[in-house]
Amino acid sequence: MLSYDYIKCTDLRNVFQELEEGQQVYPLAGGTDLIVGMRGGKFAPKTLLDIKDIPEFNVLEENDQGITIGAAVTLNEATTFAPIRDNVPVLAEGCHSVGSYAIRNRATVAGNICNASPAADTAAPLYCLDAVVNIVGSDGTRSVPIREFFTGPGKNALNKGELVQSILIPRPYPEGKGVYFKASRTGSVDLATVGVAVQRWGAQVRIAIGAVAATPVRALSVEKAVNEKGQKDWTEAARLVHDDISPITDLRGSREYRYHMVEVLVRRGLEQTMGV
Amino acid sequence: MSEKITINFTVNGEKEQREAVVGHTLLRFIRNELHLTGVKEGCGIGECGACVVLLDGKPVNSCLVLAVELDGRELVTIEGLSKNGELDRVQQAFIDHAAFQCGYCTPGMILSARALLDRKPNPTDADIDEALSGNLCRCGAYQEIRGAIKASSGK
Repeated sequence: MLSYDYIKCTDLRNVFQELEEGQQVYPLAGGTDLIVGMRGGKFAPKTLLDIKDIPEFNVLEENDQGITIGAAVTLNEATTFAPIRDNVPVLAEGCHSVGSYAIRNRATVAGNICNASPAADTAAPLYCLDAVVNIVGSDGTRSVPIREFFTGPGKNALNKGELVQSILIPRPYPEGKGVYFKASRTGSVDLATVGVAVQRWGAQVRIAIGAVAATPVRALSVEKAVNEKGQKDWTEAARLVHDDISPITDLRGSREYRYHMVEVLVRRGLEQTMGV
Repeated sequence: MSEKITINFTVNGEKEQREAVVGHTLLRFIRNELHLTGVKEGCGIGECGACVVLLDGKPVNSCLVLAVELDGRELVTIEGLSKNGELDRVQQAFIDHAAFQCGYCTPGMILSARALLDRKPNPTDADIDEALSGNLCRCGAYQEIRGAIKASSGK
């Protein structure tokens, strides 16, 4: 049996006192990473702070700024939200790639990035979309670009006492197709061996990759060749991705396999979004 | 720590008030406190789907939900599907199609299928595969399971 205190918060104002004064206080939303981690000894919370029914965290809306995904919004809710499906389908694909259907009924988009796995399936799409992470603490709110939110494996930009309130997909939305490709050992319910998001923006392209470095990365060498130097040979362009990544060998794949798969998937992504 | 919290919830249509141990999962609570043993523990880490139940109508892995999180929610287990002694049509279709061998995965499979048919009465093969993506069958009865779900669709 696991041992901890459980506190349910339904008022955002009451959250911060618990977070700042308590020892080893972990926020609980979907719990799908947290409970597995507690069982495996990775996390040892003294207190679980259930935040999933705080109204501010349940926002899922589109307005002039873009699409706001509250911290308690599940992956299935995000996947089926029409503005996400219609305007940024690459993110719907990323959300849909996490775990199984039942997992996605609990797991949240915000939890996927807070867990800060370099292999997080929502990360590469969010990097391509220049998503903004809205953070709330007792001193107020602040926003950081998604690229600054991931700081290392399992590490994010949150300070003690802070929580992610929401993720903003800012307008303007991309013009053109976006795809997310995931290479994994099994067809579903596996972490990404590599994950590649390729998003067209008019004549330009943005590419982001997961599970090939300490954080997700943008393939800036490839982007520069295509966007600035007019490279139209996608095979040549994809080869440049080797300069953007530094994969390691682990149980999901070797370093060499990751280099190979990323190159293949970047080329495929360019073909499918930018035209053959 | 054996701290308990009083929770109010609905299980298979009946309102209940119980004490839930803070350190227990929903899976353990359903089996040991509610004595509904149709729900099974397989992997305990959300990968096999043997513990799937419907929480507010949605399939979830009860091994990854805390018992105290049941407060204010509506729970349906495999025991809640039959009405007046008559099996749900998904249950009957699983029998008609021999969609199991050992049966350990079956409660989770049927509940995932029930939820799918509730939101999409005429699912495609791809819809079925997605809905059951978190339900593993070690006996390998997948073809029969898909057949049973197709046979119970569109009604």
